[in-house]
Amino acid sequence: MASKLIYLIFAIVVLMAGILIAIWLAEPVANSAGMAHPIIPGMQVGGDGGARLAHIGTLAFLFQSLLLLLIVCLSALGVAEHRRTTELAAYLGGTFLFSLLAWWQMYSGHQAYMESGSTGYFMGFPVATAWQVYGTWLGAIPLIVIYSLGFRKFIFTLEDEAKFDQLMARQAEQMEP
Amino acid sequence: MEAYRQEIIVGAVAVYMIFCVLTGLWAMKRTKNSSDFFIAGRSLGPIVVSLALFSSTLSGFGFVGGPGLVYSIGVSAFWMVVISSSGYALGFFLVAKRIRMIAELRNCISLPDIVAARYNSEAVRFLIAVTIVLGVMGYLATQILAMAVVMQAIMSGTVMFADIGLLACVVISSAVLIFYCVTGGIIASVYTDVVQGAIMMIAGCLILFTAMSVFDGGIQEATSIILTDDTESMMPFGAAGIMASLGWFFVFGLGLAGQPHLVTKMMMNKNISDNRRILPMSLFGYIMAALLWISIGVIMRAAVIDGVVPALTLPDDAASVFLSFFTNPLLAGIVFAGLFAAIMSTSDAFLNIGTAAIIHDIPKAIRGHSIKNELFWARIVTVLLAIVAASFALYSHYKDATLVAILGAFGWATFAASIFPVLAIGLNWKGATAMGAVTAIVAALLINFVVQLAGLVLPYGISGGLVSFVTSLVLFIGVSLITQRPELAADMEAVLDI
Repeated sequence: MASKLIYLIFAIVVLMAGILIAIWLAEPVANSAGMAHPIIPGMQVGGDGGARLAHIGTLAFLFQSLLLLLIVCLSALGVAEHRRTTELAAYLGGTFLFSLLAWWQMYSGHQAYMESGSTGYFMGFPVATAWQVYGTWLGAIPLIVIYSLGFRKFIFTLEDEAKFDQLMARQAEQMEP
Repeated sequence: MEAYRQEIIVGAVAVYMIFCVLTGLWAMKRTKNSSDFFIAGRSLGPIVVSLALFSSTLSGFGFVGGPGLVYSIGVSAFWMVVISSSGYALGFFLVAKRIRMIAELRNCISLPDIVAARYNSEAVRFLIAVTIVLGVMGYLATQILAMAVVMQAIMSGTVMFADIGLLACVVISSAVLIFYCVTGGIIASVYTDVVQGAIMMIAGCLILFTAMSVFDGGIQEATSIILTDDTESMMPFGAAGIMASLGWFFVFGLGLAGQPHLVTKMMMNKNISDNRRILPMSLFGYIMAALLWISIGVIMRAAVIDGVVPALTLPDDAASVFLSFFTNPLLAGIVFAGLFAAIMSTSDAFLNIGTAAIIHDIPKAIRGHSIKNELFWARIVTVLLAIVAASFALYSHYKDATLVAILGAFGWATFAASIFPVLAIGLNWKGATAMGAVTAIVAALLINFVVQLAGLVLPYGISGGLVSFVTSLVLFIGVSLITQRPELAADMEAVLDI
């Protein structure tokens, strides 16, 4: 399991590196990282959103999807191998799907706005941006819940605590003259 | 009350600084050895650690640079904030438990101690210690300069201190910082962090309510003004574009678990089981304080576009102009105290880890043992480090900003790229090797240096930090997989099994 997980993590980061190179080599678009505001000094504008995503939109979507997968895989890596149960996998899988949903809603909401030119609002922000502000943040909250509520089940069980105490006790014995 | 605005602000900041000095005196009685000085003797409760952790995360950048970035590039800058839940979660899943166990087991007092124990390698210890020293110099210089500039701005508004110079402000602010760090070490640092964190949370909350009242239609009116002016700025990827935004998500999110001043605080709690409470409390505190970052930036961008406020001279003026236009003097006083709190809480953390690297880790890596009378030398080096950083700050301000800019590049992204793989993955994977660690650290430092020195601008807003982070991850795992699996010490093997 341990070797499989690290290989999966390695595969994800290699794929991400490949995507990054592909984006680097993609046909350049003028002002793809913003340009000066025409009137107000010190302010940047984005300009033509469609043009900025024309050559790299799909690659960038994949990059972020892989990053979300990487986050849950790294979280799993942080759990001792023998505690990586099916139950934990289900929780982490659910977290990934939830954060992927938020990412998809944000990305597709942006695309829809570029096509229609109109948007609704949710709690102060345009809908696509609201998915970014609230969805992205909430997307990882299940990880906090798993860690805090599942602490004695997955992270540091009473059995783990006893093992660590024994380890410390053994070391103290060895230190004694 | 409005007539005494500047005096009230100066008074609030003065009260805060007096508190810091008193805390230093109180903590001095509790600092008896280098373990107390550097990691508070692993005796802190969950509330103290939570507040110290989040207040150190949010430096002066969060109060000055953050709102300025939102003003300048719109929603792109939000990505540094919304990643906090993933960042804190990863930090706790990957680092919190094992760093605390190893610290107790091997009596470690610094991050380089931890990696040296994990990899049984003095080379890894040395490289991490050098990375920390370089990063600390850049961070400290910029924080001290920011503190002095803000102090000069608020004090020069009073009749009594109208002609105060930047040098005097550097001396005053550095003196307070040095005093409580030298007398009370990390104990003073974390207890001032508690109050600093509380001030930042209150300031964030009050600013949000103030921001909501600037436009009749609240935040939605502000965002619709920005959207009408430039659609992309208020859409999810902002003016800086999708790759700049996703790069920040990557570097700030994963990178949190690679910040030495933060992970060192994970060694200080009394009980490992407190981590389950520290995580949600830290995240809550960070979000409350970060409300200021987003709300000021959005309101100021909308207010300038709408003509309510004249265009800012510099984007970083967003917070101070917002405070002078839209808040009453008492709130402005609290927020300015919060700003000093944010800067000082990060600075004291960096002073502490920088001192540990210089007097404990680098000598240990070179000579095999640290210097004698560590507590005495820790105090001396803390003073010297702060003086050198303050000198750098003044030199960069008056003469040449290049050196501090280069050292500044050793900021969050370099720490993330060089430390995250070695620490966060290395503490959870027995196959990680010293060769993998050395390769990843060297690659991360080189890429960040080259991008900074050559002034490389990558297409689509891809940052050098993102490239170095992805590269170091690939190299760390790849090189570890092809080099011989290390023979771990029995106690380390046991810790990695728990």
